[in-house]
Amino acid sequence: MNVLRRALAGFVVLLVTAGSAGPARAGKPVFELEIRNHLFWPSELVIPAHTKVKLLVHNTDPTPEEFESYELNREKVIMGGRKGVIFIGPLAPGEYPFFGEFHPKTAQGRVIVE
Amino acid sequence: MLLTSVIIVLREVLEAALLISILSALSVVHGIRRGWIGLALACGFVAALGLGYGIDTVSNWFDGVGQEVSSAFMQFAIYIALALMLYLLGAPDGHGQRTTRMLAGLMTMIVALAITREGFEVLVYVLGFAGNLKYLLVVLLGSAIGAGIGISIGALIYYLLRSLPRGPAHGASLVLLVLVAAGLVSQASLLLIQADWLPARLPVWDSSALIAEDSVTGQLLYALVGYEATPTAIQAGFYFGGALLMLLVGTGAAFRRGRNSVDKGET
Repeated sequence: MNVLRRALAGFVVLLVTAGSAGPARAGKPVFELEIRNHLFWPSELVIPAHTKVKLLVHNTDPTPEEFESYELNREKVIMGGRKGVIFIGPLAPGEYPFFGEFHPKTAQGRVIVE
Repeated sequence: MLLTSVIIVLREVLEAALLISILSALSVVHGIRRGWIGLALACGFVAALGLGYGIDTVSNWFDGVGQEVSSAFMQFAIYIALALMLYLLGAPDGHGQRTTRMLAGLMTMIVALAITREGFEVLVYVLGFAGNLKYLLVVLLGSAIGAGIGISIGALIYYLLRSLPRGPAHGASLVLLVLVAAGLVSQASLLLIQADWLPARLPVWDSSALIAEDSVTGQLLYALVGYEATPTAIQAGFYFGGALLMLLVGTGAAFRRGRNSVDKGET
């Protein structure tokens, strides 16, 4: 039990250290996406290949939306009127569709990686 | 709108339902009274409400990635509880009162956490339509249908496991448990990659030609064992590492149990 407790503590320390390594994460390119009227603006986003980028998604609708993409392997709920941070990449060149899971017929877009 | 809500709720409910089925089947095999399920469901729903209510605050933790970090943390907690469970299931005292109580406690915690995770997403989705009565009714209907399908699939798995004789039922449940645990920990690593707490590289393989992630089989496998068509090295590493660790725990526990039986002069 003692070993387990120490392992757990070590794990928590690891997580906290990883989380506070802020400066190491600074400098990632930021791209902005807006959700308005259950649509993505812009619906096409061009990002550099092989680079991890930060997506700042601003949901200006009053209701929540979930940014989701099977190709990008990302999903995140963003409440109405709030901004969400999602890191994507690094990605090989190509097109990666994403959609709003709560309104999939209208909220669609793709990330074009060049 | 109806179909969308069916699919959304089905996916969330399925993940929790499968875990509950496996743990319920194990309870029966090991003579653990199943009263814990009700308690776990209740705790889970309450916690899901709390998380849904506090989602704004939580989202802003850790520079906007609080959701991912708390979700990942819950996954890791479930994983550790599953490993402890696996160890206890092979423990030498063969399920005396104390072990049974601990097992029930662990199962309660696991299910409550799983329901919190899945439940809050469903809640956020449904409550988003609270202001629009027409949509809300459709969404509630769709959610009920989706939940019903998810619970039915869970029940199917439960009865499939129960239909096996005791030995194979135990074995099959444990195999599923190891895969579920590996899937959970790999999902957690994906969340941390999304939050930029873990680095990422290009995916190491692409199996979408075999099983596409958005196909029915793919979704089922995702919910059950965390199937990913394009995992990165870290995700795959967490998956296989997670499975390996569980196997080691299980083997260690079985070994201790076997040795203890021999010592006691049993066969």
